[in-house]
Amino acid sequence: MGIIEEVFTIELPVGENFRIQRCRYGSEFIEDKKAKRISIVSGIHGDELEGQYVCFLLGEWLRNNTNKIRGIIDIYPAINSLGIDSITRSVPFYDVDLNRTFPGSKNDFLPAQIASGVVDVMRGSDFAIDIHSSNVFLREIPQVRIAKSQEETLVPLANLLNIDFVWVHDAVTVLESTFAHAMNTIGTKTLVVEMGVGMRLGYAYGHQLLKGILNLMVHEGILEMEPPKEVRFPIQSHVGEVAYLNACCPGLFVPAIEHCQVIEQGTVVGHIVDPLSGISKAEVIAPIGGILFTLRAYPIVYEGSLLGRIFGSNKEEK
Amino acid sequence: MRRFDIVTLESPNRAPLRIEGFEFGNKDSKGPTVAIVGAMNGDHINQLFVASGLVEYLRQKESEGKILGRILIIPAVNAYALNMGEKNWPLDKTDISTMFPGYELGETTQRIAGRLFETLKGYDYGIILEGRRDQGMCLPYVKLIESGYEDMESVKDLGLGFIHYRPHEPTETVMLQYNWQLWETKAFSIVFGKTGTIDHNASSEVHTAIVRFLSKRKILDFALFEGRVSNIIDPHKITIVKASRAGIFISSMRCGAQVQKGKVMGKITDALTGETLEEILSPCEGIMTCQYSHSLIFQNSIAFRIASVELCCELV
Repeated sequence: MGIIEEVFTIELPVGENFRIQRCRYGSEFIEDKKAKRISIVSGIHGDELEGQYVCFLLGEWLRNNTNKIRGIIDIYPAINSLGIDSITRSVPFYDVDLNRTFPGSKNDFLPAQIASGVVDVMRGSDFAIDIHSSNVFLREIPQVRIAKSQEETLVPLANLLNIDFVWVHDAVTVLESTFAHAMNTIGTKTLVVEMGVGMRLGYAYGHQLLKGILNLMVHEGILEMEPPKEVRFPIQSHVGEVAYLNACCPGLFVPAIEHCQVIEQGTVVGHIVDPLSGISKAEVIAPIGGILFTLRAYPIVYEGSLLGRIFGSNKEEK
Repeated sequence: MRRFDIVTLESPNRAPLRIEGFEFGNKDSKGPTVAIVGAMNGDHINQLFVASGLVEYLRQKESEGKILGRILIIPAVNAYALNMGEKNWPLDKTDISTMFPGYELGETTQRIAGRLFETLKGYDYGIILEGRRDQGMCLPYVKLIESGYEDMESVKDLGLGFIHYRPHEPTETVMLQYNWQLWETKAFSIVFGKTGTIDHNASSEVHTAIVRFLSKRKILDFALFEGRVSNIIDPHKITIVKASRAGIFISSMRCGAQVQKGKVMGKITDALTGETLEEILSPCEGIMTCQYSHSLIFQNSIAFRIASVELCCELV
């Protein structure tokens, strides 16, 4: 049975406390210096709920398999608890993206204090898995995104997670203010998972990631059992290229194909239409062949809105 | 005055977004050039107010033949957000002020920032009217990022009391000041007011400071009195005074007041019972430069900031 604790709290003005809760399994291993600790984190963005389902599935599994636990497993389903309970991506009241506030500070405004509290609570964890659901605009296949500078350390771990895609990207300085960067900086190997779409659950994705988390924990000795069977090995971004599909004009984006399809160069991905005139303004064409791993879920678009991403083979190999 | 569209962007259903510029002075003038950017967020009403006030002021000065250089004013970048009480870009909630230098092949707000930045490149001076991102209100101050391209001497010409001078933070690498400086414009930000409203005293002080700057930099032919001697401070060395409890916050001070150690600065009452939960006392002597401006306060929020020559205490 996990131990539920309130690990961070701040008084709110009117008869309520802001709180972050955690459920800890394997607390009997706290004194064991060889035992590893992992933090499963969700809800840094209040409109992303896939992680909540994964937390539930993992908690359910652990409750039924306590005899297999050999380390400390901390589950944090709702970091931005105010946001999750109000369909608000950012920290309500301040309207600030919590994942651009790390490592935070005790001497700054509330979002920075929350960020600082989160880092303090998870400090000392060997691993962290930060589960995101893209946002309400885009649907993603299960993937891990890793900054180039962390490639060597994190890609082997990501490959254990039963995900579809590992995307190593050039680090953008602004990402230094994310949870993952803050935790990696203090020695916690932190993976960022993106999957599904904001405000919704993709049940299959939840089960897919659960299997991956169990697999990672077995490999790291946090669980003692046979590793799960048929764990998939993700596509690696270095073997190909990512093409972006951005809207060339405003309108209503109507997809012509399903998410996660393997498509040919020149495939019609969708249309941008004008409801007022009844005119189809643009055809969205795949610039390369490959897997459509991102597809827009929210149809209203401006010029520049991201419609999809395709991962295809390297140009020189075509 | 030349009024023109710097950026236009079609919307699915709304009238197109227009970012308008107001230019003063002769295009062929050999005098110094300056661009002033107003509200980049939808809650920066104070910045909009000051920028539009400058448009009106300079229109008069131009009719008097007083413009020596060239001045561009952009009062509102994110009019879409201003028109609907949003802070950020209304569809995807991204913040245009953190999209610089922009990217023409990127997402909507990256494209807006990129097109705006194309216009802003090449000015000698760049002034960003910035609002606070927290629930605070403050004395107007200059935020100058130490990038190697900053120009402290020109900033002093504003005659504002405080210049916050520090290295950039990671999030600031995607903001206008940092990128503008990299493109060799002597850029700085003036931070003032309270989001969502107009502080007339602060607005007046900023307006006068900018006019003084234009005058001293020989962009405007108009003399006015000297401002203050600017104190250059590291913002991390300002004493912060936190609320130990949450509740209703009642301040008894105005920004800019000199405080003595032990002076009552405000109090927090229980929002349900009315009981006084805390009297907030000044831990040191100095100038109260900034205070929490919302009536409901969270526990551990920063209630006041006090600037002193020496940091007198730091609450952890």
